[in-house]
Amino acid sequence: MKGALAVYQKELRLYFRSPIAYFVMAIFLVGTGYFFTYSIFLTGNARMTETFQNMAILLLLVLPVVSMRLFTSEYNGRTMELLATLPLRPWQIVLGKFAGAVTILLLMTAGTLIDVVPLYLFGNPEGMTILSGYIGFILLGMTCLAIGQLFSALTQNQIVAALITVAVLLAFWFIANAQRFQTSYAWRNVLGYLSFSRHFEEFVQGLVRTESVIFYLVVCAIVLVLNTSYLRWQR
Amino acid sequence: MITLESVSKRYGSQTVIHDLSFSVEKGEIVGFLGPNGSGKTTTLRMIAGYTTASAGRVSVAGYDMATQNDTAASHIGYLPEHPPLYDTLDVTAYLRFVAKAKGVARSEVASEFDRVVAACRLEDVARREIYKLSKGYRQRVGLAQALLGKPQVLLLDEPTIGLDPGQLHEARDIIRSFGAEHAVLFSTHILSEVTMICKRVAIINNGRLLAIDSPSGLQQALEQTNRVSLQVTAPVDELRQELLSVDGVRSVEVEADGDRLQVECQIEPRDGVEAAIARAVAPRWPLHSLGRQEPTLENIFLQYVSEG
Repeated sequence: MKGALAVYQKELRLYFRSPIAYFVMAIFLVGTGYFFTYSIFLTGNARMTETFQNMAILLLLVLPVVSMRLFTSEYNGRTMELLATLPLRPWQIVLGKFAGAVTILLLMTAGTLIDVVPLYLFGNPEGMTILSGYIGFILLGMTCLAIGQLFSALTQNQIVAALITVAVLLAFWFIANAQRFQTSYAWRNVLGYLSFSRHFEEFVQGLVRTESVIFYLVVCAIVLVLNTSYLRWQR
Repeated sequence: MITLESVSKRYGSQTVIHDLSFSVEKGEIVGFLGPNGSGKTTTLRMIAGYTTASAGRVSVAGYDMATQNDTAASHIGYLPEHPPLYDTLDVTAYLRFVAKAKGVARSEVASEFDRVVAACRLEDVARREIYKLSKGYRQRVGLAQALLGKPQVLLLDEPTIGLDPGQLHEARDIIRSFGAEHAVLFSTHILSEVTMICKRVAIINNGRLLAIDSPSGLQQALEQTNRVSLQVTAPVDELRQELLSVDGVRSVEVEADGDRLQVECQIEPRDGVEAAIARAVAPRWPLHSLGRQEPTLENIFLQYVSEG
């Protein structure tokens, strides 16, 4: 675990020594603030439902920028040779980097809490629904980061890594739309189950179902294991 | 400490390392000589565990790099050809990260940091971001990270490249000081460096080990193919015949240089052959110079590489 912690600390330092983390957070918070203000004035309801839905789309576009450098920068800076020859196991490298990126996600999420303040000041929102939305948001974000991290390991180019990640994330977000082209009941079920948006929708509505929590965690775990296996295979 | 047994490395259908075997013991500094693309870096990467051997066995500190790579890594300090540095970190943050990743105990990180910073003379730049450092300092930071955690084995890929003469001297001192207690394998292009630092030299070309011996041992081995060079003004064919008739001359190469002929004779390794050549040539033609070439390490290297 010590090795993973060392990688984690290094990743955080690197994030905050480059402008990327600040830009991403700024864009995300400005975007979220805009969606929040817009939804509140449009609906007149003290709730976060619409804001969460827009935040999720924004997340799919912004998180690949956070994850794109995780491995590509190691390849381009020729530091992968150091990481691979230090007494670090591949899972420690993968976990340390993932934890670093998740910390950025948590900071971004914490920044949006400011939107909740006026809800409580001027209305009477449902606290548990908002909490459930945030849980879904973080789980979705973690899954996006894991996928982004895998593509960052698979290519040497940051832009390519980000673009592929965005494409894959959007595909999983809209995959449920393909249901209407399927006549097979089983396939319709599979497509619905794989949809990131379907599971997220439940959290937004205040429903924390074990099935959805496990879905995101399992996807996360599978992708991180693939990432670890790829590092091992590289040797 | 480092043992390679019949190691080969293939990339697809191309074999870049062929059946390489040698070992480096504790307290020994071995120089790894070879032209560009000869397989030095690939060999060092296999020993460091960055890539695996396609065939054969690499072991470091008793651990098989194919199966116990993670355990062996804590005994290895490795400086790749391009120092692996995080440009936006400062030297302190970078070295602390490497120390922690190497498993240096929390209580010892500070003392270990001080030790390598002093050994590599990095005190003045300890707080500076790495991207602001000169090439020489970057190389030294790379060397410092390799020394962290007191590894038993040091693998240095061209550690002195890009250093000015003063820094070169310091870097050699550092390597020499660590050679007493560690097994050090370092690759270089600079031949004089090898004679200054190394106990043994391994010469590699096209992925094959051509020779491994002490610098003086290599010299002795090549004295068996000693050369005598002479400058004479004479007709080429007659001179060649005359020289080949001298007892002890194996072959003759003649090159015209204006009026004079530049002649290289391959002779048998015994005394008196030069004198016999002089006796044969001097009475008939003007002999301008005659001398026996002592094989320098450079000649040895070039000869091995051209033969290999």
